[in-house]
Amino acid sequence: MNTLSDISLHTSIFPTWCPGCGDFGIWGAIKKALTELAIPEEQLVIVFDIGCSGNMADFLRVYGFHSLHGRSVPIAEGIKMANHGLKVLVIGGDGGIYGEGMGHFIAACRGNHDITLLVHNNQTYGLTKGQASPTTTKGVKTSSTPNGLIENPVNPVALALSAQASWIGRSYAGDILYTTEMIKKAIMHTGFSLLDVFQPCVTFNKLNTHQWFQQKIYKLESEGYLSNDPAKAWALSNQEDRLPIGLFYENPDAVPYHKQLQQLSDKPLVQQFPTHVSLKAVFGEYA
Amino acid sequence: MNWKVAGQAGEGIAVTGTIFAKTCIRHGLWSFAYGEYPSLIRGGHNTMQVSASTNPVSCQQKLLDVMVALNEDAIALHLDEFTKKTVIIVDKKNTKLNWEKYALSSTIFDLPMHAISLETTGSSLAENMVALGASCALLGLDLAVLKDVIKDAFHKKGEAVVAKDESAAEKGYAYTKEQGLARAETIAPHPNNQILLSGNDAIGLGALAAGVQFYAAYPMTPTSSILHFMAENETRFPLVVKHAEDEISAINQAIGASYAGVRAMVGTSGGGFALMVEAVSLAGIAETPLVVVEGQRPGPATGLPTWTCQADLQFVMRAGHGEFPKVVLAPGDIEECFSIARLAFVLAEKFHTQVFILGDKYVLESAQSIVRPAEDWTNTRYSLAQETLPEDNSYKRFAVTPEGFSPRSLPGQPHGLQLTNSYEHDEHGYATEDGAMTKAMVEKRLRKIDAILPFIPKPQLLGPQDAEITFVEWGSTKLVIQEVLRQLNTTHPNTANAIHLHGLMPFPADAFAELAKRAKRLVMIEGNATRQCEMYIREQTGITMRERINRYDGRPFFAEDIVDWVENQKKETKTL
Ligand SMILES: Cc1ncc(C[n+]2csc(CCOP(=O)(O)OP(=O)(O)O)c2C)c(N)n1
Ligand code: SF4
Repeated sequence: MNTLSDISLHTSIFPTWCPGCGDFGIWGAIKKALTELAIPEEQLVIVFDIGCSGNMADFLRVYGFHSLHGRSVPIAEGIKMANHGLKVLVIGGDGGIYGEGMGHFIAACRGNHDITLLVHNNQTYGLTKGQASPTTTKGVKTSSTPNGLIENPVNPVALALSAQASWIGRSYAGDILYTTEMIKKAIMHTGFSLLDVFQPCVTFNKLNTHQWFQQKIYKLESEGYLSNDPAKAWALSNQEDRLPIGLFYENPDAVPYHKQLQQLSDKPLVQQFPTHVSLKAVFGEYA
Repeated sequence: MNWKVAGQAGEGIAVTGTIFAKTCIRHGLWSFAYGEYPSLIRGGHNTMQVSASTNPVSCQQKLLDVMVALNEDAIALHLDEFTKKTVIIVDKKNTKLNWEKYALSSTIFDLPMHAISLETTGSSLAENMVALGASCALLGLDLAVLKDVIKDAFHKKGEAVVAKDESAAEKGYAYTKEQGLARAETIAPHPNNQILLSGNDAIGLGALAAGVQFYAAYPMTPTSSILHFMAENETRFPLVVKHAEDEISAINQAIGASYAGVRAMVGTSGGGFALMVEAVSLAGIAETPLVVVEGQRPGPATGLPTWTCQADLQFVMRAGHGEFPKVVLAPGDIEECFSIARLAFVLAEKFHTQVFILGDKYVLESAQSIVRPAEDWTNTRYSLAQETLPEDNSYKRFAVTPEGFSPRSLPGQPHGLQLTNSYEHDEHGYATEDGAMTKAMVEKRLRKIDAILPFIPKPQLLGPQDAEITFVEWGSTKLVIQEVLRQLNTTHPNTANAIHLHGLMPFPADAFAELAKRAKRLVMIEGNATRQCEMYIREQTGITMRERINRYDGRPFFAEDIVDWVENQKKETKTL
């Protein structure tokens, strides 16, 4: 049995990200986290959204699905429902997950599907060259908002809280070790986990830079924060002067979606292929 | 016999019709039930009609033997369906109308449904049961059979409800007898092997028989009842059913489930399908098996939600950006709904492709009695990678093969790691922009078309080998054309036959041309305004049809109208 490791994850394609891009840090943290979790290589599926972030599909040798822009979450849910024995991780950007796929994001929180959603939150559309994204700060001038962005940004942590996600964390791509730990915890949580990662886009986001983040971030646990109070989590998620990272909220009692389906109590759906089907019980109703 | 019930939405019209149809079936009669209803929950005009006969029946008939009229509209809107022989059951005390206005030649049977219902059950809810009892007496059907059907229909509501409904039916039956209206010759019940299925039920059953394990949908007429059927059966079979947050999610979840190795299906109508189209293209390049039911209703946009048409053919055939193979099958009757659903899963999995079951409100929501399909089914898996893959990780999910599809590994399988990719990709699945690789992949996927073609149902010749007129129809129009042929050929043998198309894409062009060559006069019949199938046939075969009948007012074809068309043509030819 091969477990995931730096070597097993290697593909011959070297990342095409800009030098200094936060995606490198997240990539490193993912590899480190997967190696440390020692999951058998065939027991993990990663679903990639479309974006610079999703381009990681070519840089990780795993069972992967490089889906459509904004549609990675429902693909992941389908995979998990069909084979809940797998660990399922989603990689996407703030554009795909909080913009194009916002409805799916909320539905996944509500459903408590046992998947991990890792969002490279660079507050811009990287791959399409720097337009405003759902998390871009109000007033920022971009190629699609040359006169300044009119909308207010979405708050992913608060959204996930209000949709009753059972695990909500935030990290910063510049801190690889911390991000590694957060990824491990998110994957090990049974139920839906959102890990929003601040990811500086060095090419298109001149506001939310590494230096900017380093001045503002602090770790929640360093201030004795307990992750069991949605109201406190809500308040902290709205902080702007300082930016907390860490585990905002965890509900260890929430039952994941697949565990609420009695037909999955014995084994995963994919292991129950209906070689023999009897329609007898159904026909009765139509006579 | 032709029986109909009409009244307001919310008066239990559909249930009443279904009970009547099942009563006919338990007598050994073939039955067809067709309903019309507006897109409203209460109010608005609802009808359900049942044609039943000792011979197979495949569609509704215009002229009625019995009409259960629950309000004035049930008469006013149906005048051309009444003849001298029609008996109109009406509660005169309850339905006040100006009889002279209608100059009816039919028998009016004043049945105090309201009073009998009140007297036997204490409420007016059992009026329909009174009417059903009366209908049985009028048509010579067995009361005991009706009571059995009522019991089966309402047993979930408890014995008390069943007893009340039964006694209401009994009273209706007895009252009819007392009035001397009961038919002298009765029809003896015949044990038989028929069941009454709607197209949606049949697709659901066919899918179950084929081993469907994942169904996702967002409710939309006329396929909502597939969702209900599947959900109802979720715990009886190894099946997960998901009412997703939207159609986009539904199809992407199904693609995910299919990628993970289970047989998956989605169902929707035109508007919902429009939302799915991006993912149709995804499944095309990802080569993920998928079955999609598209139940047509008239558009554009919300259109006529509860009516029928065949106007999404070109849309479905062309759905999805880019070029990739697709299979489109259009079931023509309830049996084909079942068999096509089963076939769809086999083709989807064998060729790693998408199969579209293109139905419409008419075939999906009408119910027909069919011989009960086999109870036991066996399924095999297709086109999966060998169980033990080489340890050197040399397995290639998208290997370029002569047949166009390449054995598929499933997540969880050791040494089968692969990237399924919406980007153009190499044989392992990694993204590529290489021109030669792109060309090879496009061609590889399109090669499946030739591999699939032999499995596509061939055009079917209905009626006599040779005939004066050969109708060409597709999908649900088969239901009506069979009746047309019966009527035309009974009086004048060899007047007409028909080519029925249910395998549409890839198009069995040679088989069609073979049949068309023998035809003296081809007449295309389809339920749209832009001649979608006619143009497609021309594109695929070069065959041009010069005569056509198109309908696009939301109504299905009626056999009588097509028969009239033929008769009128004959007259015109004579005067020329
Ligand atoms: C349906 C659709 N619309 C638009 C695009 C073009 N597109 C590709 S990536 C992207 C945005 C990328 O931003 P984000 O999701 O934040 O990811 P990032 O590149 O920043 O990692 C867009 C709009 C697409 N691929 N599909
Ligand atoms: S554009 Fe931004 S997000 Fe994309 S690779 Fe470059 S730095 Fe990273």
